[in-house]
Amino acid sequence: MAVILEVVHPNGTRAWQRLDALPLTVGRGLGNDVILDDPYVDARHARIALDDAGSLTIEDLGTVNGLVANDERTHTPVRLHLGIEIRVGRTTLRFRDTEEAVVPALVDDPTESVPARPMAGALPRAAGAGMGWLSTNGGQLVITGVAVWTVALTAWLGTAERASSVDAMGAALAFITAVAVWAGGWALASRAVMQRFHYSAHVAVASGVALAAIAWNAGGNWLDFFFPDSALITVFVAAGFAGLFGALIAGHLALASTAPRRRRWEMAGIIVGSAFAIGATAAVAVDDEFTDVATFSGVLKPIAPGLVPTATVSEFGGVMRKLKDEVDKTTKE
Amino acid sequence: MLLPAVLLSAGSTIAAQPTQPAPTPAATADVFRRNADRVVKIQVVETASAAKASIGSGFYVTDRGHIVTNYHVVSELVHAPERYRAEVIDIQGALHPVTVLGVDVVHDLAVLGADLKPSAFFSLDVLAIEQGNRLYALGHPEDLGLSIVEGTYNGLLSHTLHPRIHFTGSLNSGMSGGPTITDDGRVVGINVATSGNQISFLVPVERAAGLLARTLSPAGKAAAPTLEQVGRQLRDYQDVYLRDMFAGKTEMVNLGPFRVVTQPAPFFRCWADATRSEELLYEEVTHICSTDDFLFIAGDHSSGVVEVEHRFLSTKKLGPTRFFSLYASVFDQDETPSGSEEHVTSWKCSTRNVRNATVPMRAVLCLRRYRKLGELYDGVLKVAILGRRDAGLVSMLTLSGVTFENIDMLSRRYMERIAWR
Repeated sequence: MAVILEVVHPNGTRAWQRLDALPLTVGRGLGNDVILDDPYVDARHARIALDDAGSLTIEDLGTVNGLVANDERTHTPVRLHLGIEIRVGRTTLRFRDTEEAVVPALVDDPTESVPARPMAGALPRAAGAGMGWLSTNGGQLVITGVAVWTVALTAWLGTAERASSVDAMGAALAFITAVAVWAGGWALASRAVMQRFHYSAHVAVASGVALAAIAWNAGGNWLDFFFPDSALITVFVAAGFAGLFGALIAGHLALASTAPRRRRWEMAGIIVGSAFAIGATAAVAVDDEFTDVATFSGVLKPIAPGLVPTATVSEFGGVMRKLKDEVDKTTKE
Repeated sequence: MLLPAVLLSAGSTIAAQPTQPAPTPAATADVFRRNADRVVKIQVVETASAAKASIGSGFYVTDRGHIVTNYHVVSELVHAPERYRAEVIDIQGALHPVTVLGVDVVHDLAVLGADLKPSAFFSLDVLAIEQGNRLYALGHPEDLGLSIVEGTYNGLLSHTLHPRIHFTGSLNSGMSGGPTITDDGRVVGINVATSGNQISFLVPVERAAGLLARTLSPAGKAAAPTLEQVGRQLRDYQDVYLRDMFAGKTEMVNLGPFRVVTQPAPFFRCWADATRSEELLYEEVTHICSTDDFLFIAGDHSSGVVEVEHRFLSTKKLGPTRFFSLYASVFDQDETPSGSEEHVTSWKCSTRNVRNATVPMRAVLCLRRYRKLGELYDGVLKVAILGRRDAGLVSMLTLSGVTFENIDMLSRRYMERIAWR
């Protein structure tokens, strides 16, 4: 008879190891015979060996969490027998007999497709799920670099001064600082919940959303140039920004929580919704306030005017009359 | 640049200017002695606190207690008659309540009525006078007591829409509404404004004579001056001088590849300025035409200014994207007149891409309405010409205190006039 050590990882996956050569060490450190990827497990956690009487025992190596046998925490050696379960951190060690009977195999239908199963033994890696390229260091670096470069380019295009490279660098530096601080906050949250900082991934999430926001803003400007004073476009552009804000929150939550995707988006939706509600209330209040500053859509684009839809001067007269009616309405209030 | 003219109402203090040396002191003393009893001090008092809101000067024009002064001295009474009252103080220091009987907001004049019988008064006759003639201004500068200021007549201003006499002499706040007279005691004009350094302005006497005649006529007696009347005067005034603007033959100016209006009427003054330097990657030429004639409506509200402003931008060094971000930032600047909630609504603006016969442009009209004066608006039309990647023109027409019909008409004419060189 030989004994099999069955390791049940915190995420439910299982692994088996035959206890041939004793003693064996168990722990999170890579020098152990049985390596457990479990944040509650010490680097060197326990040793499995034969005691003086020749019985198989597991011995705690002076750890924080010790061993749990029969729902009781202990720091003294525990004698093992077949069928016993020992908890080490959040991992369960089961000791089983090689001769244990198993149920017969099921009859397989060869036409049925075989579902791909997630790799066993992984950390709670919400980060990896659905963000393939983001989980690689190279991908994170590229997206952050492109975002910084885009911010600098936008600043450079936005100034007509000779020393424009200074403006560009200043903008890039301000952007880097802002992203570093923002991602730092999220990284701390990740560390608290997931035991991992995921700092570069958080930086990449923020950079990616910033990049999308710059692009969306530029697109919005072009739409505003072609179709000024359009309420539809204003709402459309604002909705886009709300979506990006939601994506930002959901992206960070993917790295800082174990919540399923649906739940993450719900949380992001609640945050964005509240922010918008506050913003809209403030906007309405400001709108009612008197101001002698005029606001208008003063966007200009270097494009062949033939491509721009234009009104005639007399059509603009109609626009002016409509404006008069609006102004007259405010005096009656 | 134009000299800002400061109205002489109390509250705006101006450092006293040294007066010219008096050639014949005896004569000046005579003029003062003969005319002092015809000039009064006018004070506007806030009824609730009994505090003086403003002081000015005025003078008797009939033996029944009619007094001429500036509209801006008593404007509070017209705007908020429930909050203010006015009184005159004669040479003996006696105090008499007065009421406003008639106003001419365009020429900044008012006729007051007091229940008293002055022993002497000025008659308002038109008189011929030459440049260089010696004149004497009477009034209460800074509330320091009745004073006499010598100066000279320097003719009518040539560039103003409504006539103003250029008086070389030091008028100070508090002298508003006082008479400026010849040595034989005939009124030439009414003290109204100063630009400092002895440059002062008078309203010609015939305007006061006209207002007095209108006020004493049966129709004038019936109608107490109200805000509605002020509004009607402003509407009639702007209608007359705006009707033909930009119509028919209009002066044009070339700015780079663009051709736009300039000098809309003789009473506009135009000036230009350019910034060109090696340091800059672009050039800017500014061309402005403006009327000098701002109208006093209330302490914190003036009106009546019409301005045309062109800002021409061009570059040989900037690419189209960078040039257009500069162009847009110039276009996007808010240059609308300021205002207070008591008098005007907030601005509302509409933007469209517009094309006249040949030129495409981005056009914005910003509009606000006067709250108390009926159908009067401020309007700012701003256009940016499209179609060039290395040159642009931001052109702005500012109209204040005009009817919407005129804003509409002039904006259209203004846009139609823009052309390629």
